[in-house]
Amino acid sequence: MRPLTAMRIAGFVRGGRALAPLIAVLVELGIIYGGGASPAAVAYGYSAAALFPVLAWLTKLLLDTEPDVQRRLARLSAGPAREATAGLLAALVLSLAVCVAAMAAPWLFNGIDTSKDLGAGIALGILAHLLAVPPAIAVGALASRAVTGSIRLGLTVLVVAAVLVVVLGLSGSFAPWLVPPVMATARVLNDPGVPPAGELALLTGWAAAWCAVAFAGYGWLRRARS
Amino acid sequence: MRFEQVWFRYARRADWTLRAVEATVEPGSTVVILGRNGAGKSTLLQLAAGVLRPGRGAVRGRPAVVGWVPERFPADQPFTAGDYLRRMAELRGAPEPAVGHWIERLLLTEHVGTRLTDLSKGTAQKVGLAQALLVPPGLLVLDEPWEGLDSVARTLIPDIVAEVTAAGGMVLVSDHRGEITALPGARHWTVSEGTLHITESPVPLSASSAPTALSGASALSGASALSSAAPGEDEVIVEVAVRRSEADRAVVALRASGHRVLGVRG
Repeated sequence: MRPLTAMRIAGFVRGGRALAPLIAVLVELGIIYGGGASPAAVAYGYSAAALFPVLAWLTKLLLDTEPDVQRRLARLSAGPAREATAGLLAALVLSLAVCVAAMAAPWLFNGIDTSKDLGAGIALGILAHLLAVPPAIAVGALASRAVTGSIRLGLTVLVVAAVLVVVLGLSGSFAPWLVPPVMATARVLNDPGVPPAGELALLTGWAAAWCAVAFAGYGWLRRARS
Repeated sequence: MRFEQVWFRYARRADWTLRAVEATVEPGSTVVILGRNGAGKSTLLQLAAGVLRPGRGAVRGRPAVVGWVPERFPADQPFTAGDYLRRMAELRGAPEPAVGHWIERLLLTEHVGTRLTDLSKGTAQKVGLAQALLVPPGLLVLDEPWEGLDSVARTLIPDIVAEVTAAGGMVLVSDHRGEITALPGARHWTVSEGTLHITESPVPLSASSAPTALSGASALSGASALSSAAPGEDEVIVEVAVRRSEADRAVVALRASGHRVLGVRG
């Protein structure tokens, strides 16, 4: 699986498609940290929520970079399960790299208020990004051409999912459980003080359950489509 | 390998592209699939390779290692030919020397550093052929393999097919250019209007179909031609040197005379 993962990352990076989401990340970081220093938990909570649609888009671009025929050759060579998993792993590697860069960037511009709860804030920030990455990859994968079969439908899935994550994630939403807890996590990190462990466990379980359903759906859809 | 009542269509409400395909491919045999453009030859080949899944029915007994040469090689990738083949070898678990062997054998040496997007159609097709052969296939599926190849490269295909079948493998080839005569002993199937018609008896032999089992070294040991021989007759290898500019013509002339050209070295 490692050779296919590496091949897909190389194809994506060398082909230049990585540039557009990279610019989007830079713009987002500029907006989040341009206004001055914030406590680490608050800043990283917003950062994780803002990165969600970009990481989903990055995943879709990554999975769509490979021509359909090459994907079928890879499927024939590695087997259907490994072929599908290698694409998700490639997206995971790149998404984690983006998250590391996003968490490191504010330190270059004094964007983090270091006066209180710095350690806890960073730990919560890491958790927030880790809770955002898998659902973003799942959304991007479900919007990929291998699943949707067309660019228009793929973009529709991506945009609708990104909007729903925000709209249904707002406080007082009628069905917040339909979307991953990206907004809920940002709200919890925005509250002063360290949130209780039970609340963090609930968010983690919620994200894990949502991802389990989404990835199972991806696996089922890919099984029928080469 | 058996096609058991295989039906296929590309979308749920679309018409069936293939209907009730029932056929068997024996180990060590070659099948040439004929039919007009759009008849469903590529679809049948992709079902055989396992790239497409039947809507109904099943393909059983497919060998573990399948080499598939698609009709159009996916050249829109940011790799050089050499880098691509090395990555595919790693992906397929092919032994290290396999890449160099097929690069030399398919006359790709001078294109190793060329980006896939810059390759000519025929050279890209050879890269597609090389990736399918990195691991000796139990089933080799060739979708219009002659398309875009020059006359020298075209002579390699019958030899490769013979080697795969000699090792007990199966070969399925589609053809709409009448190159079928280059594959003596092959059975032929015809796809028309979504159904498969099988000619049970092999295509008449126009030359020996005895396998050559070339090694990489012997294939490249010189421009060599094997005299044609009726089955049972002894064959001898005659090494011939020709001017580079006349290589294409010489290969075509030798083949036209009924000889089997085993390889060409630049």
